[in-house]
Amino acid sequence: MLKKKENKKELIMQAALELFASKGFYTTTIPDIAASLKMSVGNMYNYFKSKDILAKEIIKYISSYLGNKLREINEQEISTKEKTRKIVEIYFKTASLKPEMIDYFLRIYLSNREVFKDSCEGMICVNEFVTEIMIYFEEGVKCGDLREQDFFSAFGLFMGYLGGMVFLKGENILPKDLNDYIDDIAFNIYKALSAE
Amino acid sequence: MKKTKVLWLSAIACNGNTHSFLNYPFMEQFLEDFEFIYHPVIDSKYSLEDIVSKEITCDILLIEGAISKEFKRADVSVVKIIEKYSKIVQKIVTVGTCATFGGIFRESGYENTSGLHFDQDKQLKEFQYLRDKTISVSGCPVHPEVLVNTLYAIKKSITLKLDNFLRPKEFYAYTVHNGCTRNEYFEYKVDNHRFGELEGCMFYDHGCQAPFTHGSCNKILWNEVNSKTRAGLSCMGCTEPTFPKRNLFSTKKNMAIPENLPVGVGKRVYLTLAGITKAFKIDRLEKKLIDD
Amino acid sequence: MIKLIEKIEGEAKLNFNFKEGKIDFVDIEFMSTRNIENILKGKNAFDALVINPRVCGICGHAHLIATVQALESCYENLELSNKAKSIRELTLNFELIQNHFKWFYLTLFPLFGKKQEILKATYPSQLMAKAIAVFGGQYPHTSYAIVGGVVCEITHMDIIKLQHYISQTSKFVEDNLVKTDSKTFLTCKDADALLDYEGDLPDILREIKKMNLLGHGKSYDRFISFGQNSYFKKGKSLKTKVSHNISLEHVKESDIASSFAKNVSFKDEYYEVGPLARAMINKNQLIADAHKKYGDSIFSRILARVCEISKLLEHSKKLIDNLDLNEPSYIEPSMDISKLNSIGYSAVEAARGTLIHKVEIEEGIIKNYEIITPTQWNLSGGTKEKQGVSQKAMVGLDDVKTAELVFKSFDVCSVCTTH
Ligand code: SF4
Ligand code: SF4
Repeated sequence: MLKKKENKKELIMQAALELFASKGFYTTTIPDIAASLKMSVGNMYNYFKSKDILAKEIIKYISSYLGNKLREINEQEISTKEKTRKIVEIYFKTASLKPEMIDYFLRIYLSNREVFKDSCEGMICVNEFVTEIMIYFEEGVKCGDLREQDFFSAFGLFMGYLGGMVFLKGENILPKDLNDYIDDIAFNIYKALSAE
Repeated sequence: MKKTKVLWLSAIACNGNTHSFLNYPFMEQFLEDFEFIYHPVIDSKYSLEDIVSKEITCDILLIEGAISKEFKRADVSVVKIIEKYSKIVQKIVTVGTCATFGGIFRESGYENTSGLHFDQDKQLKEFQYLRDKTISVSGCPVHPEVLVNTLYAIKKSITLKLDNFLRPKEFYAYTVHNGCTRNEYFEYKVDNHRFGELEGCMFYDHGCQAPFTHGSCNKILWNEVNSKTRAGLSCMGCTEPTFPKRNLFSTKKNMAIPENLPVGVGKRVYLTLAGITKAFKIDRLEKKLIDD
Repeated sequence: MIKLIEKIEGEAKLNFNFKEGKIDFVDIEFMSTRNIENILKGKNAFDALVINPRVCGICGHAHLIATVQALESCYENLELSNKAKSIRELTLNFELIQNHFKWFYLTLFPLFGKKQEILKATYPSQLMAKAIAVFGGQYPHTSYAIVGGVVCEITHMDIIKLQHYISQTSKFVEDNLVKTDSKTFLTCKDADALLDYEGDLPDILREIKKMNLLGHGKSYDRFISFGQNSYFKKGKSLKTKVSHNISLEHVKESDIASSFAKNVSFKDEYYEVGPLARAMINKNQLIADAHKKYGDSIFSRILARVCEISKLLEHSKKLIDNLDLNEPSYIEPSMDISKLNSIGYSAVEAARGTLIHKVEIEEGIIKNYEIITPTQWNLSGGTKEKQGVSQKAMVGLDDVKTAELVFKSFDVCSVCTTH
């Protein structure tokens, strides 16, 4: 029963993500989302009490999706260099397969912070994802591969770079496929962060 | 009841444990229940020369200070003295971190200096046959109550549960963090500690080792009034085999994440919780505790 | 004749040479060392604040204060609040006081054929330890004084607590040491008058008189003291002539072949340090009177040591009254220690006398560390032609027992001497 509800929630979030991406966050309404799923608006409210709540749940959903992928990487016995490449790879892969997810993260979560004020302060709603990035950094420094520095200066470099590329891709400016950049970008990031 | 006879033997030491012991509040009662056959400060029936040349009846051997066979007392190697008395006593207590793990004076330059059973966290073969007789009360210095009450437990033949370093769990199962007045700053990750203030937690920047140091400093307090961390000084981890680590006034961090986390707490759990609590701004903890 | 002197925070061997029934020369040997100075080499400079109190279990706090001052003198323009300075002075005073109590009741008593008074030693010294713990968290072995101040913040409630510890200790003095009100004792200027009082101190002093030891234990009558603060003055005293113009430059440490202790001299002469020296340089009237009557003998030495308890309690009360709680306890140094290349010195008055630390730092790491302890001054082991202070004090005595008393009147500390 619960499981079924969870699945349904996921379906709704997926539909909402697609609508946000095509129509924009503000212009998309709960009735629009309900309509796209052929649900009644009343039933929709059984799952999400408001658009704001839906918005927060989506960001947690994305964070947990990416967090899980990163955790798999973190748990492998491989070098920090290889981990760096795998993280870049998984990020771009997600951006290609589920562009609406990354799009949501970059355009909606980061630029509509007022929606995410209550109970989504700081990085709470992206905690799972950020925790894994922290572990990747911490272990990298501990084993001597990465240089010790402030967390945010490293985090900004890493995420800003990846976000920037996905943005360029979204604007159709990138001449090549995102995947074609993985090697170079992983190399650049590692070089920038490495202890040497 | 018969007085329990105790030999207090100092090896390579600063006598800090001796003076810490003198701070035990119920000394009168203690001296009615115990008798020192030798003590570095308190008068005894026997002189050190008697102790090393004869074999005086004794129930408990207390060792203070790091041990090396090169180090002599009254011209006799401390190892020889330990060998002699360990045979006749009922129990041996290594008092303080030097006698237990080597501590500060592990580096004093004598040949193979270590604790009785441990060289830092490495278990030693020498004296292995005495392990069942030994209880360690580490700390630099040991807390007087920890020492004295352990002696009473021996006197009363109470079987104490010991940890891997032979330390009584009743004192060393706790972390020093437990009971610090700065706990809330730790819990809610308010990480702007500055020295000289009542507020803030030294874990993030100033090297507080209490969350991964075993001991009761903040539970039974020092001199019955305070503790280092309450006063505003980081715990230096003096009860642990690793004491003294280096760069003691700053926290070892990797990409700003503390390398040593609370004992028994996984990194993922810690970071997740930290991420959540850090997101909140708690006014009471951001401002002065006693404000206008 | 060789005698092992025990219970002086370790042991020392005294080798007595007699001539015509009198002590002619005493060779002093300390049998071990712990190489603290080597342990410090290569460590982060601030770690010395944790390691150095472990030089000694009974005067470790003086080593902390000496360390922090030596480190601070490595900086240019380091700021320190008056509050921090006073707090450091207070905790150091408390350590001196607890030390003197322990020495008097544990070390000195048995030398006069009395039983050790353990509880009279521990009761007031525990009060003083509590007073240190209010600021430093614990005693022994806190590292609460750090470069830039002290780690603690002090509230009115702490002050009230402290005042109680101090007044309770004063009361102990009045009820036991010298049975009169503190004021009378503190203003007493006549050493002989003390012999008429009740109390443990007058008892001992009368004992000295009875045993005909009044003039025993005299040495060079040369005193020195470097540790200056709001109470102690820096200076030297040569047969009551006091001058304050002395410099650490002229202090020299030299090895001796036979012992682990090193000799210390000022302009190539041996000087006595400790409470008697401090009282002479401070021109304390009671001690000056004792000195006038009995010279630098055990009488004056013992009196000066015990008298210092009351003086320091009194002065501590004033320091507390003058504390401005609004001042900061700590002012962060503007320069990071890891950028520092420098040499620093300090001199503080520990229980047994002047303690000197010298540190050399390279990029925040200790390159060299030297410690000169008070007992080194008093116990320098000279040659027969040029004897150390305590050696000279034992010359001419008839027996080893009196010599031990004279020796211990310097409050010898083995661990400090050899560190
Ligand atoms: S200062 Fe140390 S003991 Fe106190 S709360 Fe922080 S980590 Fe714990
Ligand atoms: S607080 Fe830490 S450093 Fe201090 S005595 Fe306790 S265990 Fe040792």
